[in-house]
Amino acid sequence: MLTIALPKGRIAQDTLEIFERVFEKKFIFDDRKLILESGDFKFLLVRNQDVATYVYHQAADIGVVGLDTLEEQGLDVIRLLDLKQGYCKVSIGMRAGEKLDFSKPELKVATKMVNITRSYFASKAVSADIIKLYGSIELAPLVGLADMIVDVVQTGATMKQNGLEVVEDILESTTHLIANKNSYFFKKSEILDLYEKINGAI
Amino acid sequence: MIFEHEIPEGSRLYFASSAKEKRNIEQKASQLLEKSGFLEIVTPLFSYQQHQSIGDDKELISVNDAQNHNMSIRADTTIDAVRIITKRLGRNTTHRRWFYIQPVYRYPSFEQNQIGAEMIASDDLKEALDMTLLILEKLDQQPLLQISNIKIPQLLSKSLQIPLDDFKHMRIDKLLSLNIEWLTELIYLQDLEQIDRVMQLVPKEIRAELAKIKELAMASSYRHSIIAPLYYTQMLYYDELYFRLVKDNSTYAQGGRYINEGVVSVGFAIYTDILIEEKEDNT
Repeated sequence: MLTIALPKGRIAQDTLEIFERVFEKKFIFDDRKLILESGDFKFLLVRNQDVATYVYHQAADIGVVGLDTLEEQGLDVIRLLDLKQGYCKVSIGMRAGEKLDFSKPELKVATKMVNITRSYFASKAVSADIIKLYGSIELAPLVGLADMIVDVVQTGATMKQNGLEVVEDILESTTHLIANKNSYFFKKSEILDLYEKINGAI
Repeated sequence: MIFEHEIPEGSRLYFASSAKEKRNIEQKASQLLEKSGFLEIVTPLFSYQQHQSIGDDKELISVNDAQNHNMSIRADTTIDAVRIITKRLGRNTTHRRWFYIQPVYRYPSFEQNQIGAEMIASDDLKEALDMTLLILEKLDQQPLLQISNIKIPQLLSKSLQIPLDDFKHMRIDKLLSLNIEWLTELIYLQDLEQIDRVMQLVPKEIRAELAKIKELAMASSYRHSIIAPLYYTQMLYYDELYFRLVKDNSTYAQGGRYINEGVVSVGFAIYTDILIEEKEDNT
């Protein structure tokens, strides 16, 4: 039996569709249920940011999570497969017309992705004052809270509507199949069999 | 604000039955080790050489001595114990089998109780493995044995120009995407029964290292085991044959071969906290 953590919402639906194609059977959660057991699989519906945590602590053997979330959390899990879904970018946004200037002594950056941001500016040897926000990140440059933001961008429409534009991309993200390290070694044949089937179906 | 009842995160507190269990585990282990010719050593808490044992300096709790030399609080015992036995105690003893029962500490406040043993100037990892299994058996534990060889990921990293980090984090997708048939076979290799077939496919230098895994796995009578040739541990000193004993998400023990000051040695560590935790969970 493999336990699989899925993030609630669109990614869970897309992933279950892949499983349905591969195993030629329906995988449907009963209304409001968070656990679905079917055949050799137990699916768990969890919050996107919690998928890697469930896998890291082996509450789930494998999981599906965006690379952006995975990079931000930095948990030691195995990256099995790029599912090539849920494409987005982690980008730097500034007020339209402004230019990114790495020569400034310090930059104020608002973001909810503190670790990705810190590591990116450190790699550029730029001192950044990182301000952690939990939402409405686009507001920060408009009210002078920050010089720029680092945020997840899908189409760029939200930034545009708020008078911002993408000035630099930090990371391209898609959903990834991940595995717990010990589960991988204990259940290698099951996990690699699933890897092969899903890889053949995407 | 720190409340009166608080203790630092990661620190260990045992009392009543859990403290008794800790004493019981350590007593059983020390009796078995002494019976097998090991002598006990207690090494200093402060050390000048911890950076040789720990891959990430940030994990060390650093302080300074009276001359402002950097010191660390013990984060690993192996290198210090071997250095003290061979260098400082070189004129006092020629004994080469030592064990220690003491905690290690990592930044900021992580504490881990260990039972460790070193067999200096011995390359007999089978004996170290048997000793580990004997102690665990006496403690009614039968975790899964994983046998690996750290040299294999190191050789692959060099010959295929793959960062060692890809093995450390097991980037399976990246390794499989190389489409190298023998590498794929190595990734899938898990059972001893498959090893002869895979050995025929891999390059000569990898074959020699796989043969060492095969030899150790065949010599051991412990059947609850797997082989994991691509596993890479983050410890700095294990450099060849390596084993770990795992149950669920926990490592109960690990051991391996290492070279210190040009001398080949083997050793192992058993993680007492995990054993106490399981015992407490089961009662």
